Amino acid sequence: MMEFRTGLRGLLAGVAMALACAAGPALAETGVLDRGIGSEWSSLDPQVNFDAAAGLILMDAYEGLVVYGPGGGVLPGAAESWTASEDGKTYTFTLREELKWSNGDPIKAQEFVDSVFRTLDPATVSEKGYYFYSVVKIKGAEAIANGEAKDASGLGVAAPDDRTVVIEMETPAPHILNIMGAFQIPPLHGPSYAANGAAGFVDPAKLVSNGAYVITEVVPQSHVLLEKNPNYWDAANVKIEKVKYHVTEDVSTEFKRFQAGEIDVTYDIPVNQLEELKTTMPDSLFISPSTETTYYSFNLTRPELQDVNVRTALSWAIDRELLQDKIVKGGAIPSYSYAGGFDPDYKGPMMPGAEMAQDDREAKAKELMAAAGFGPDNPLKLTIVTTVAEDRVRLAQGVALMWKQVLGVEATVEPQERKAWLDTFYAGTWDVFADNLVGDFAGAETFLAYMRPSAEPGYNWVKPEYDAQMDVAATMPDKASRDAELAKAEKILLDDVIFAPIAIEPSRILVSPKVKGWVPSAAGYYNSQYLTLEP
Amino acid sequence: MLRFVGRRLWNGGLTLAALVTLTFFVMRLAPGGPFSRNRKISPEVQANIEAAFHLDEPLWMQFGRFVWGVLRLDLGPSTRHRDYSVNDLIASGLPYSLTIGFWAVVVAALVGVALGVAGALRRNGVTDYAAGIIGVTGIAIPIFVIGPVAQVVFGLKLEWLPIGGWDGTWRSLVLPVLVLALPNIAYISRLTRTSMIETLRENYIRTARAKGIGGRRVLWRHTLTGALLPVIAYLGPATAAIITGSILIETVFAVPGIGRHFVDAALNRDYPLVMGITLLYGGLLILFNIATDVVRAILDPRIRHER
Repeated sequence: MMEFRTGLRGLLAGVAMALACAAGPALAETGVLDRGIGSEWSSLDPQVNFDAAAGLILMDAYEGLVVYGPGGGVLPGAAESWTASEDGKTYTFTLREELKWSNGDPIKAQEFVDSVFRTLDPATVSEKGYYFYSVVKIKGAEAIANGEAKDASGLGVAAPDDRTVVIEMETPAPHILNIMGAFQIPPLHGPSYAANGAAGFVDPAKLVSNGAYVITEVVPQSHVLLEKNPNYWDAANVKIEKVKYHVTEDVSTEFKRFQAGEIDVTYDIPVNQLEELKTTMPDSLFISPSTETTYYSFNLTRPELQDVNVRTALSWAIDRELLQDKIVKGGAIPSYSYAGGFDPDYKGPMMPGAEMAQDDREAKAKELMAAAGFGPDNPLKLTIVTTVAEDRVRLAQGVALMWKQVLGVEATVEPQERKAWLDTFYAGTWDVFADNLVGDFAGAETFLAYMRPSAEPGYNWVKPEYDAQMDVAATMPDKASRDAELAKAEKILLDDVIFAPIAIEPSRILVSPKVKGWVPSAAGYYNSQYLTLEP
Repeated sequence: MLRFVGRRLWNGGLTLAALVTLTFFVMRLAPGGPFSRNRKISPEVQANIEAAFHLDEPLWMQFGRFVWGVLRLDLGPSTRHRDYSVNDLIASGLPYSLTIGFWAVVVAALVGVALGVAGALRRNGVTDYAAGIIGVTGIAIPIFVIGPVAQVVFGLKLEWLPIGGWDGTWRSLVLPVLVLALPNIAYISRLTRTSMIETLRENYIRTARAKGIGGRRVLWRHTLTGALLPVIAYLGPATAAIITGSILIETVFAVPGIGRHFVDAALNRDYPLVMGITLLYGGLLILFNIATDVVRAILDPRIRHER
């Protein structure tokens, strides 16, 4: 088996060298981009994968109706244009002419419909269906996901002809373009799927894709190699010939591989070296906000925490700047709101008291706590449940320390392994939950929709006004008026202090100086087709 | 001899069955499941996902399904690596772990025995002290320290060898093999040395010398055969541990073997993969123990006539 692989690799290297020699002066534009993807990709099945690392590979190999350009902005992808109906409920996408799959077959609009259906179909066992019935509400999508509808006849995604995809939704959703990329809606090549089933997605000999690259080698736990797709519509502008995604479980090893030049772009960095890297590799280090937010949720079923003043005092006693600058030191951005900070157009509210200086907040917090009947003789006792990740534990310890110093609260930190931590949340056996949420796109709505008491009962937050305000927002077809309504909802959320906002988590990436065109993207979209390699 | 082997195999089978049964049920005691997510998906979809992996069935039925699968050599689908079955993952990772493990055992055995013998023959000489220092270093400094140091020295500073990954050539083998072999070299050289010194004092060695057999022949034929018995007893289980993949080595050197699955699968609650790896590791450990017993029995008649 290994001899075979080695042989194949030798052959490929030989072919590559021959091609490189044949290409002559164009040599500078060719080469292999080596990218890190952390510990492991979970699946290369484009309708199943729900993992960010594999998402990077799949977004190079497939293209959705739109594509996310440098920085993550929406650009025309397989669709050259689109229109929205007046009520904002119907989007009509027009595919480019002469679009081809990597094997030369024409791409038909129906293949996008098939993709959505396969994602929703319970037989596929995909967790991504909620994009189509929750993030946006496509007609008939939920019925398919629940197993009530067995075919696509009632689905609000249709292909009236080979170049038109029509999406009909129950409520308007101006953010629909944020989920029309390859991660969410990669087309499904009918003949190869019919012949090979899901096994075809990991077998380069059978794999057919439509992105800038095609997968040519897959070695589990080791790497995935992609080569330029000559049939891609924009192949002329794809500069890098090959992209190799390397699995490196250990973040320190990945860093050393970067230093040795084995990897050009890392997946993460060793957090404890962040400060040093800022001075030693300032040009390679990219620290930018991601769509992951950290907040400390209060258990509303605990009698002591049912008093909003106690929750406010706890939130105010946290010095968010000090926490990130001196204790966690992981590059996170201190946060005073929940859903803001990802989309510059969204003007959301801040948490109550955000306008005060930290000293004033702490003074007020002491008063509130005393008024609630807690003092040195009667301290509030809390348990913070967090995951075992080193920086998360440090964060929780920092918060506990601040609560102790400012309010005399006796908080203990209980680190739990991730899966246990998730179960603990739903079991409700926590006082304070070190919570985090990764948004589906860089916008406020994905976070605010998650906090709906109807959508997430785990917080035990009873607030019909919030659901009602979110329902109002959901009827707004244009982004500006929708954002205004969403901001009102966020105010209801923040005023109730059911959690203390803590920070926006960063993405931390090292990019070799020879890689050009790297632009930070909050949603983590970094297609290789927009990058170039200098020799 | 055949009865001896048969008895060991039967006992080994029972041990393995007990191990696997225990693992199956203990694994389920850990909180969380393979599809725990912090984004709540609709109950219907969640139920459907669980049904697809038979997680909705009663535990005894799931266990029955697992046993039936094992009998058909089908370990089921991985819940974390959705593109592969557990059989696929083992088939893909095992060759890497085996390659590194095999060379590490060879290097450890050859170097360890050589150092041990040299130390025993020139007791308190320079070689003995050198071997002693290597021994203490190899045992005392853990792999997760030596590994990264070796990467910095040979990969970053000298640029002789790759830091990690698998490029298909011998170069990516060197560091993982040496670092994996080092603690074993240490143990084996210490074991060999002690055992050699003891054996050299045995009566039968004196008898052999008295009979006028040459020094070299006494050393190779009589002393070493006797002295290696404890080394062989150590090598059996050690080989099983080494070739089934070292978690640390594979993590530090980014080797695509199966060792990493040990921890990953448990953390991700990938029940089928945990069971597959346990079965493989347990089976190999038992087999190598039996093989060790057989080799010792061949070398030492006292063992095979026990009981």
